[in-house]
Amino acid sequence: MQTAIEVNDLVKVYKNGVRAVDGVSFHVGRGEIFGLLGPNGAGKSTTIKILIGLLDPTAGDLRINGVDIRRHPAEIKRATGYAAQETAIDDRLTGWENITLQGRFYHLSGREIRVRATEVLEMFNLYDRRKHLTATYSGGMLKRLDIACALIHRPQILFLDEPTLGLDVQTRQVIWDYVEQLRTEHEMTIFVTTHYMEEADVLCDRVAIIDNGEIAALDTPDALKAGIGGDVIYVRFSGIDGNESALQSRIGAVSHVRQVKPTADGTYRVIVEQAGEETIPQLFMLCEQLGVTIDAVSLKKPSLDDVYLHFTGHAMRDDTENHEAHMKARFMRGRARRGK
Amino acid sequence: MTLLFDTWYVAKRELIKFFRTKVRLVFTLIQPVIWLAFMGNTMNRVTNNPFGAQMFGTSNYLTFMTPGVILMTVLFGGVFGGMSIVWDRRIGYLEKLMAAPINRGAIPFGKALAVMVQGAIQVVAIVVIALLFGVRFQTGIGGVLLIIVIASLFSGILSGISLSLAASIRTIETLMAIVNLFTLPLMFASNALFPITMMPGWLATIAKFNPVTYAVGPIRELTIHGWEWGKILPGTGVIVGLTLVFMLISQIVFQRATSE
Repeated sequence: MQTAIEVNDLVKVYKNGVRAVDGVSFHVGRGEIFGLLGPNGAGKSTTIKILIGLLDPTAGDLRINGVDIRRHPAEIKRATGYAAQETAIDDRLTGWENITLQGRFYHLSGREIRVRATEVLEMFNLYDRRKHLTATYSGGMLKRLDIACALIHRPQILFLDEPTLGLDVQTRQVIWDYVEQLRTEHEMTIFVTTHYMEEADVLCDRVAIIDNGEIAALDTPDALKAGIGGDVIYVRFSGIDGNESALQSRIGAVSHVRQVKPTADGTYRVIVEQAGEETIPQLFMLCEQLGVTIDAVSLKKPSLDDVYLHFTGHAMRDDTENHEAHMKARFMRGRARRGK
Repeated sequence: MTLLFDTWYVAKRELIKFFRTKVRLVFTLIQPVIWLAFMGNTMNRVTNNPFGAQMFGTSNYLTFMTPGVILMTVLFGGVFGGMSIVWDRRIGYLEKLMAAPINRGAIPFGKALAVMVQGAIQVVAIVVIALLFGVRFQTGIGGVLLIIVIASLFSGILSGISLSLAASIRTIETLMAIVNLFTLPLMFASNALFPITMMPGWLATIAKFNPVTYAVGPIRELTIHGWEWGKILPGTGVIVGLTLVFMLISQIVFQRATSE
């Protein structure tokens, strides 16, 4: 696979001393949907803004399509599209005016703009409303228009910063359907940050978890989940009567089972490397042989939330409250590193 | 080339909105009408005698104050020129513009150009209103065209100042408070509404250095007297120079504020 984005040892220290990104490295392949997950202030937006040329990196080797982003900023801007976290739509202009002006800012000809704006507005189901002021659009329509605007110059790589933040469940699904479509039909590389773990899990080919400006983990969602312990089966038996240790060792011998542990309430916790649903029938067969009855069984697959929790040490929902304290801590750390 | 192209489309965005809000257009013209109708007609009774004619250069106060009203209108338009940048920063549009491969200099230039075009349109409207009030421009169409150019350059100075302030201001309320602070003093410490000879010494001194006075000079000359280049060129030159200076300052301030 060819590389679309190469980031090696990226560091960004803001003028006010905040060390937002601290030695981040990753590669994104062409046509890949790559997710960057992390708490607020972890350095996600900063990383995106550096990659599209809005901010200058403090240090690091950064390439897009093999081109050094610091040497050829204009070329990079033409190859990338960007939709920010806040929908940057002028609500006193119509949808059509918003998108055609965007085309002008990318130096497209009037003819190209008309053809592409029509095409992209149709794709995003906004063409019929193109002549209406965007002040009359719903939140979901604005977000769609914002992403549509980012596509007017047909970028090879699309950067989406929290594209589904604050949208309802259906609209989030719609946005993700478009993202999938862009990848499959236009072979676009998509770099996305999100707060919604279940979305990242379903849509991203690979995710990186960033915390405190450093990459804590990077892999496919499945590998990350497997990495923190795999599936867990909870089983409650009856009719064991003193054969506990024998049962335990027999279960432990079942393929893919990594660990068997009784819990305080008498339920056994069986950790399986993968595909716990395929282990359950084997447990039933085993118990039948041993004359033991299974009273209850449940399967818990690790979610990306668990992965996130594992690597960042805090759940996603706490982040907003801790944001301020976190920024302060980072500021102090940045100062300390610069030797002040 | 791309600078011109980008500047035009940055300006065009503002102008689409300007022409769309026709109510605003009407409201910006209500004020000049009030000045001319209320103050102009009252003061006319003061100036309509040989003494007044000598003091004001004309016995018709409406003719005297029309240049002042023109400048007052473009001044108010110009000082709010920076507002659109504050607004764009807030809604994230500024970031979107800078993510595009445009020449960054086009952003303040385009905003200022939009203000200047709006100013020119307002001046045309005020000229028409003044004609209806019986004001006659001595230099005819050519003079009116030069008046439009000077007045719109003057709004360029104000928008340059406003844009420079806006580059580091985060809220529209703060910007409004600052510009409101200096618009009225700028107007009254100038010869826009009263001749400098009528002012107390200290105010006359301030008025002599006030850019409004420099802009009023040639415009009043073109309105009341005629093509007397010796009196038109100096003021016009100062206005052109100040426009260039403040455009440059706003450019530097903007570039500095947006680099990180």
